Amino acid sequence: MNGISVDVNHLKKGEVNLGTSIMACKFDGGVILGADSRTTTGSFIANRVTDKLTQVHEKIWCCRSGSAADTQAVADIVHYHLQAYSAQNDRDPSAKVAASLFQELCYSNKDSLSAGIIVAGFDEMTGGEVYSIPLGGSLHKQEYAIAGSGSTYIYGFCNTHFKSNMSEDEVIQFVKTALAEAIKWDGSSGGVIRMVVLTKEGPRRLIFYPDEYEKICN
Amino acid sequence: MTSIGTGYDLSNSVFSPDGRNFQVEYAMKAVENGGTSIGIKFKDGVVLAAEKIVTSKLLVPNSNKRIQTIDKHVGVVYSGLVPDGRHFVGRGRDEASSWRSTYKVPIPVPSLADRLGSYAQAYTLYNSVRPFGISSIIGGVDEDGAHLYMIEPSGSYWGYSAAAAGKGRQTAKTELEKLEFSSLTAKDAVKEAARIIYLAHEDSKDKEFELEMTWISASETNSIHQFVPEALLKEAKQFAAEATSPEDKMEE
Amino acid sequence: MEQRPVNWGRPRDDIYGAYDHNIHNAAKMPTVHTQQPIVTGTSVIAVKFDKGVMMAADNLASYGSLARFTDQERLIPVGKDTVVGVSGDISDLQYVERLLEQLEIEENYDNDGHELKSSNIFEYLSRVFYQRRSKMDPLWNAVIVAGVEDGKPFLSYVDLLGVTYSSPTLATGFGAYLAVPLLRQVVDKEGDEDNLTEEDARKLIDKCMKVLFYRDARSIDKYSVATITSEGAKLEKNVKCVEMNWRFAEDIKGYGRTVA
Repeated sequence: MNGISVDVNHLKKGEVNLGTSIMACKFDGGVILGADSRTTTGSFIANRVTDKLTQVHEKIWCCRSGSAADTQAVADIVHYHLQAYSAQNDRDPSAKVAASLFQELCYSNKDSLSAGIIVAGFDEMTGGEVYSIPLGGSLHKQEYAIAGSGSTYIYGFCNTHFKSNMSEDEVIQFVKTALAEAIKWDGSSGGVIRMVVLTKEGPRRLIFYPDEYEKICN
Repeated sequence: MTSIGTGYDLSNSVFSPDGRNFQVEYAMKAVENGGTSIGIKFKDGVVLAAEKIVTSKLLVPNSNKRIQTIDKHVGVVYSGLVPDGRHFVGRGRDEASSWRSTYKVPIPVPSLADRLGSYAQAYTLYNSVRPFGISSIIGGVDEDGAHLYMIEPSGSYWGYSAAAAGKGRQTAKTELEKLEFSSLTAKDAVKEAARIIYLAHEDSKDKEFELEMTWISASETNSIHQFVPEALLKEAKQFAAEATSPEDKMEE
Repeated sequence: MEQRPVNWGRPRDDIYGAYDHNIHNAAKMPTVHTQQPIVTGTSVIAVKFDKGVMMAADNLASYGSLARFTDQERLIPVGKDTVVGVSGDISDLQYVERLLEQLEIEENYDNDGHELKSSNIFEYLSRVFYQRRSKMDPLWNAVIVAGVEDGKPFLSYVDLLGVTYSSPTLATGFGAYLAVPLLRQVVDKEGDEDNLTEEDARKLIDKCMKVLFYRDARSIDKYSVATITSEGAKLEKNVKCVEMNWRFAEDIKGYGRTVA
């Protein structure tokens, strides 16, 4: 065929990627987010202590995977929208609203973005909520969500070990073990495990270092 | 009408020396001449009712609705200039659908009232426009429960347990104040609304009127704004007729 | 010196003549949107019966070969007596869902009791799909609209190309190869549906979904069934494939050569 062929897949060569292991999970009293801390350009680790857990509102956070530039831009836009929302409407946005804003951005710009995002939020009405927004820009409400290159290694583990209404200690252990396994098998994931716990008390950060979490799955 | 001849009543964007916007006050006159509208908030919803004066025998019964739907979960009734109301509802629908396309959830009723209040207010600021000749009562159910608001020509709006506008509003308000809103059921609210419209109509008894009623209730209509079903409407009309003419009943 | 960098490095005027400045305002490339489906749903199948239509779709949303979401509903009720079944890209499915919800809201503005009919919904969708393919930005789906209109069953198909057709049996994707032959054994041509009861239609649908589970690598054994009659639409969720036949596997040994 002699038509004009356009290769859209190579527009962004040498991109900084969050080849990642991220997850979020509901539990009794809230919701938790977790991520590794590795950012790569090809096989070079551009940042070994990345923070992939991003706040977009007080109790609404997201885990970012895919292009670092794209997901940061998207998260910044959603952050702006949610600030405007709470100022204009005298109320906090729900996790559903936040997830829908992410979804619309990812959907309407699907030709130019590579972003896989998990949104998790806490509000008094629903407890915790977890939404997954994979590549095409669809929106999926879930009990827990995993994403990023490392997640493929832990589908089985998570499916077997997830329980509804875990306690906070249980859910931290669940996320830590899952991410430890993902980091172990995925070359594009690594570094420390960061977590954010969202309850009615507000957000709380946790961090786990390799010498500790590696013992779980030596 | 002390303002007449002073010149300060001719333009929207000019205050009178004592700080009044006469165009807004004239708009309120237009509202006062319109058929009565009321809204009642009950346990899990809202009922809206309108006294529709039949201005010609040639009009098709049940046509020319005065209560309209803004979104699935929100309805509005207004007194005053009907074409102004039509335009105002159009704006409400645009706001509601734009909210849906941005946030993918129905608009919370307080946010809708706020946006429509701002819209009405903008029509008091400019020389090129006149204020809306309507007071609109907005009722809806959202995730926080039932809400009722009334927006006036000035753009000011308040949340109410029950609200009335139009010719019979004084009679209606007196009756509305007697209601116990926290225990009122959907069906009782419908009956009361009918009764109050009938009562408010007494003063202009010479004219024929049609009762128009809609409701939104979590338990009765799945939080969707719709016309009160025929059977219940009939029951409510009967209740209203009996309650407003007790002498006739005694004589039987 | 030429101060505007945009004019630097241009062919020399004295040799080639004056530069045509319209050229650098022209678009470099044609606009291209054409995507590829990412998260996808597999077949939708449907058949008319004597009093209505029955449609089914499984609950899987695949990410390539990964069975990523196992609770995706792909049958969308619209109005009182129409169900829209969607296969293909799930983000586009959700977009179509929002379009239909807005269509329904606008239909109810008048509060005149009028409901959208199946043919109205189908005509709307087919225009949307054709418009998008004409913009070279298709909605990556194949859709079946099923319903009852004026007491008669309605069944039509539209896809990403804007192609439409109707038949008493319809299926998208793999279903077109695996389910349609089974459905046509019972309902071959228009009018045959008059001899199919709701009960038998359901058995037929269950059989097709089972075959699809056996032979479609992007399917799961959990699905939804929509039944639309003049009484309205009912949606049965979380139906499982039952009475599957696997035991014969025990007798299969090797692949041709006799083995112990």
